[in-house]
Amino acid sequence: MELLMPGLGLIFWMTIAFGLVVYILKKFAWKPILLMLQERERQLVKSQSDARRIEMEMTQLSQLRARKLAEGEKLVEQMTIEAHSKAEAILEEAREKSREEARIIISRADETVEAFKKEAMQEIRAQISSLSIDMAEKILEDEFSDRDRNTHYVDMLLDKLVLN
Amino acid sequence: MTNYLHTFETAKANAAVILLNQGGMIFHALICRKFVHTCFGGALLVGLLLVIFPGQGLGSTHLVQVATGEEAIGMAARGELDPEMVKEHAFDARTIIVDHVLDTYDWHLFDVGQRSFSIPLPMILFYEGKLYLFSSSRFEHGYAAHRGFRIATEGHLKGRAIRVLSDGITPDPEASYIWDLSITRNVLAVFLSSAILCLVLAGVGRRYRRCNVYTIPKGFPALLEPFIIFVRDQIALMAIWPRHYLQFLPYLLTVFFFIFFNNLLGLLPIFPGGSNVTGNISVTFVLAMFTFFTTHWFANRTYWQHMFNMPGVPMFLKFPIPILPVIEVAGALIKPFVLMIRLMANITAGHMVILSLTSLIFVLGTVSIYMGYAISPLTVVFLIFLNFLKILVAFLQAYIFTLFSAFFFGMAVPETHP
Repeated sequence: MELLMPGLGLIFWMTIAFGLVVYILKKFAWKPILLMLQERERQLVKSQSDARRIEMEMTQLSQLRARKLAEGEKLVEQMTIEAHSKAEAILEEAREKSREEARIIISRADETVEAFKKEAMQEIRAQISSLSIDMAEKILEDEFSDRDRNTHYVDMLLDKLVLN
Repeated sequence: MTNYLHTFETAKANAAVILLNQGGMIFHALICRKFVHTCFGGALLVGLLLVIFPGQGLGSTHLVQVATGEEAIGMAARGELDPEMVKEHAFDARTIIVDHVLDTYDWHLFDVGQRSFSIPLPMILFYEGKLYLFSSSRFEHGYAAHRGFRIATEGHLKGRAIRVLSDGITPDPEASYIWDLSITRNVLAVFLSSAILCLVLAGVGRRYRRCNVYTIPKGFPALLEPFIIFVRDQIALMAIWPRHYLQFLPYLLTVFFFIFFNNLLGLLPIFPGGSNVTGNISVTFVLAMFTFFTTHWFANRTYWQHMFNMPGVPMFLKFPIPILPVIEVAGALIKPFVLMIRLMANITAGHMVILSLTSLIFVLGTVSIYMGYAISPLTVVFLIFLNFLKILVAFLQAYIFTLFSAFFFGMAVPETHP
């Protein structure tokens, strides 16, 4: 029974001591500790959300990179194709040009040949005409040596003419 | 009377062996359920042994051995027995155990031979408007009266200061109430443990004030932190709405650490431990009162309304005979009462079991000295187990007291229904 008898002195001193303990610990222990724990937890949550956000950003970035890469590839392909066609066109043009030039050169050559030909023909004609004149001269010289016959011939011609 | 204590103090020296083992106990904090069962089984077995053996072992022809301590003293006082023989032979485990879980006016440290060394503590007594202030050493361990006061040896005031007649022995039948504010052993133990708690925890607090979020404290604060988080998350947040829990948290933390620390300190067999602080009804009474007054200081309208005018029940339960309010008020008073009894009973029971086990050596020793020797190793093994168990109980009782306090706070500030 004596175990269940509360003692006045102990109650009195215990009230004072425990009250003081509550006050002191509240002020000097729990306040800074709980604050720090709260702060750290907030920091933890923040870091977590930060990490999540950064991860998301990273995924976005890598997606962007992949997209850009694909775009670049396409662009390169397109550019290659374009370059090819352009080169083709340039080549074609060059070819055309050279063909044209060749044609011009050929036509010019033709003209020269023609001119030469003409000249040659002229020369030939001149030669021929001079030759023929010479020959005709010779012939005529020869012909006119026989007077009788010529006279005779003229007579005949005159006859024909008169008849006409 | 004191000589029984002398015999017992040697037993206490024996118990110091246990102290050596307590260093290793921390590693066994993760005790499995099986172990707890073993311990309970062991305690029960020892209890049975205690019940059986004193009856059998002391049942010899020698008169002294038949008599248990109190009877023997009574017989000695009546002259039926030689007091010297009583001192020599009787060993009354019950008296010794009860005496040791009770509060005392001096703090016994150790014995050397027949000399007992203890710290005398100040007596502060108000009697009939007069203040009596003197050292408890004036009582000479209960043998002497001083200025009309003496330590009672029996009755419900056993161990307390009482008024005696001029012969120095007979209690004064007409004495009025003594306002006893003496610094007893438990008061000093409370002061010491409070001082240690404040110093240590304020030191921890200072280290937390200094660090930032990235420099987490190491060492002792790191050991403490899981407990603090446990009290916050598993006790306060579990029992109280998140909107209110913060105002109760410092109190809950203090109660938890105060009880836990004092429980552990009570397990130490040497100074400054060994006092049955949390097993003292006055201490648990104050703790329960703190919880009670905190509950009702912070209680909101809904709480009071539920207490005196419970909504949703028929009027005849409340008026003209207030059945329900009476039940509610009784409930509010029973709650702290249960808190008080539970903590006190658990811790005192633990002390008693440990003391009983130690007494077993001496109980058997009175039968035969060799039996006493034979039982000693077994007792020490049991005591080690029990100390493990007591560490678990030290935590458990602190947890339960804090948890129930938190539940009462949670009930005092219910979230108003929409």
